[in-house]
Amino acid sequence: MSILRTEKISKQYPGCLALNQVNVSFESGKVNALLGKNGSGKSTLVKCFSGAIQPTDGNIYLDDERLVFHSPSEANEKGFAAVYQEMSLVQSLTVTENIFLGKMPKKGNMIDWRRAHEMAKELLDSMGVTINPKEIVSRLPMWQCQVVEITKAISSHPKVLMLDEPTSSLASNEVESLFQAIRQLKKQDIIIIYISHKLHEVPEITDTITVLRDGELIGTVNTKEVSHQDIIHMMFGEVSIRQRPKELEVQEEQILEVKNLCRKNKFVDISFSLRKGEVLGIAGMLGAGRTELLKSIFGSDSYDSGEIWVNGRKVPRRTSPIVMKKLGIGLTPEDRKNEGLILDHSIQDNLCYASMERTAHGWFEDRKQRRQVAQKQIGDLQIKIPDIYAPVSSLSGGNQQKVVVGNWLNTNPQIMLYDEPSRGIDVNAKQQIFEIMWAQAAKGISTIFVSSELEELLEVCHRILIMKDGRITGQVKPEEIGIDELYAYSMGDTNK
Amino acid sequence: MNKNRVKNILLDHMIEILLVLVVVIMAIVSPNFLTPANILNIFRNQAMKGVIAFGMTMVIISGQIDLSVGSQVALSGAIIARFCRDLPASTGMSVGMACILGILTAILGAALIGGIHAFAQHRFNMPAFIITLASLNVLYGLAGVICQGFPIANVFPKEFIFLGTGTVFGVIPVPAVILLIIFAVCFLLMTYTTTGRSIYAVGGNAESARLSGIHVFRSKVIVFAGVQVMCVLAGMMHSAQVASGSFSFGRGWEVDVISAVVIGGTSMNGGVGKPWGTLMGILFLGVITNAMTILNLDIYLQYVIKGLVMALAVFLSMYQAKAKA
Repeated sequence: MSILRTEKISKQYPGCLALNQVNVSFESGKVNALLGKNGSGKSTLVKCFSGAIQPTDGNIYLDDERLVFHSPSEANEKGFAAVYQEMSLVQSLTVTENIFLGKMPKKGNMIDWRRAHEMAKELLDSMGVTINPKEIVSRLPMWQCQVVEITKAISSHPKVLMLDEPTSSLASNEVESLFQAIRQLKKQDIIIIYISHKLHEVPEITDTITVLRDGELIGTVNTKEVSHQDIIHMMFGEVSIRQRPKELEVQEEQILEVKNLCRKNKFVDISFSLRKGEVLGIAGMLGAGRTELLKSIFGSDSYDSGEIWVNGRKVPRRTSPIVMKKLGIGLTPEDRKNEGLILDHSIQDNLCYASMERTAHGWFEDRKQRRQVAQKQIGDLQIKIPDIYAPVSSLSGGNQQKVVVGNWLNTNPQIMLYDEPSRGIDVNAKQQIFEIMWAQAAKGISTIFVSSELEELLEVCHRILIMKDGRITGQVKPEEIGIDELYAYSMGDTNK
Repeated sequence: MNKNRVKNILLDHMIEILLVLVVVIMAIVSPNFLTPANILNIFRNQAMKGVIAFGMTMVIISGQIDLSVGSQVALSGAIIARFCRDLPASTGMSVGMACILGILTAILGAALIGGIHAFAQHRFNMPAFIITLASLNVLYGLAGVICQGFPIANVFPKEFIFLGTGTVFGVIPVPAVILLIIFAVCFLLMTYTTTGRSIYAVGGNAESARLSGIHVFRSKVIVFAGVQVMCVLAGMMHSAQVASGSFSFGRGWEVDVISAVVIGGTSMNGGVGKPWGTLMGILFLGVITNAMTILNLDIYLQYVIKGLVMALAVFLSMYQAKAKA
């Protein structure tokens, strides 16, 4: 048996203490859950183990040997392997090639294919799955890809295996198959660290639970001995929810109505309405269909059936962002780098793309007006920029997000759809984004706000819809519900 | 700080500096180089590929490519020649009228083909590289069919011939004037209009552009049809210059055209580039070709050097992006 433990490990980032004197220990032969909400320090801890960063203070011991890593490859040599959320498999190669990528067994100078396939099969068998090692990876179901990913990690016979959200891309029926493979792994002498946001999976697969919050260790418990509520309480603690400004009154007038909207495999029978000046939240886990719903409303993706009404008029079936923009709807996409911005282009250009027609006389652009419009948003949204002509890629995440928002505010929208606007930006910028929403709401602009961070929704919204597996399963008012309850709701297990 | 700015300015104007350098060296080496006649000659020689290069600049900025340009040059020349030869004989129409009809047909056909390229790329997500490579063959074949396998010579009215061989004010070749007009149009379009801005946006990131409510398909149609229509213009000038239409015109022009665009600093990744740079690229290629001819360099060696210049240009633009502080 081996033990991985840390002794008063700390990590100081500029202006932020990500880990504060954390003592944890993980044993082999068990699946150890590492939990915490975003920003709790769990990713930082995992990065210390994988050699991606060095702790500023404290020590890491593996079986009483003190370890110091300067790079991921050093960590790898010492037996630390990680499987990350994003798949790293080469889709066009076989299972065998992926498992032994860069270290294929050779006979002389030539690849020894027979031995390679045999070795791959052996490893896959040890995980208790039957996957043909000669199969091309792109033909495998997702859970098998994830198993191959894990097999690749254990092919170097690690002592510590870190699994980061291994089920995030799996369908619910595939999860059990993956769990069986992970349970097989427990028989080997490996320390398994399991990171997940899906709390309902944790009791099924893990033996211990370690919770971090705000960079501090909250505790380690045996999975069997705690309830679902206990875990949520450990993760969130006593949350004090900031209140939105009182004067934000929702007006009577209905501006958007969605009726029985359906899209195959994405969402089913979505109906809700939005009033003028209202901030409506949509809560739910990743994959609940929230992003897809927003995109269908915005006209960038199609839908199969149902109706969308804006300002009392039905939106034609064949719609597009161009049509919806004219109706006064704007969307800040979830993936701002690939969908919201043109990274090589200037800050000014990025602030003016959606409103291009407004800053032109007919066909010709009005350069002075473009500059004014851009400057106005930079001032209003307090965007920190080196120079209006600098590429937008030179900005921090928070300022980039503000550029995306500003691009749309320049179109004078009536309804703004925000998809995970606070992802990857610092606390300060988050607060500013919320203040922008409120300021717009005060002007009578309606908002739909999608977020995985439920505290945010409680803080910002008038009303919250809960979405799960493509359906709206409930509606709550932030004043009437606590964070634990909302979390449990979005997970869909109200009984626990 | 100040040193950095000087460095950035030098990096930004690398092509202009190189052009001046080559011109100065040539002026010293050969007394015949820096004469008005020779300079006008360079402009005239570059005019045909040059007008296409401005169309190509827009295509490449939008993130696409058109490899079929050379074949469209041949096709349009063939169509106009065929109209001029056969229409008057069969209908009694004047040659001038037949020529105008031929030009309109060629332009409509070219715009249609550009539209098809845009549709195939946009709707089915086919790589423009492949679609236009297919067109390269198709259009070449069509030109051959229309020519019935032989050049159609001495059929054009003299007003048409003027496009290729005439001069303005008695000295400036008409093709050079057309080149500069097209440069001006391209420059205005890309710099001052919403269409130009859309083309940059689509090439920079098509998905972000779409989600900003920009007309992505429309932009693609404009660039693909635009470059094809430029080919008709080039085809007219070329046919007029040699007073015949033939399927063999324009073979391999895409290489020089794309070279000029790339030398001018337009990024093959899309979203970045300037018509001014392309003008510099066209002149640079023209000057070194002219210089090599004056120096009596072996024609095949000229290909080697032109190829190396293109590779060097790409290397420099990569270096430029890295070195910029």
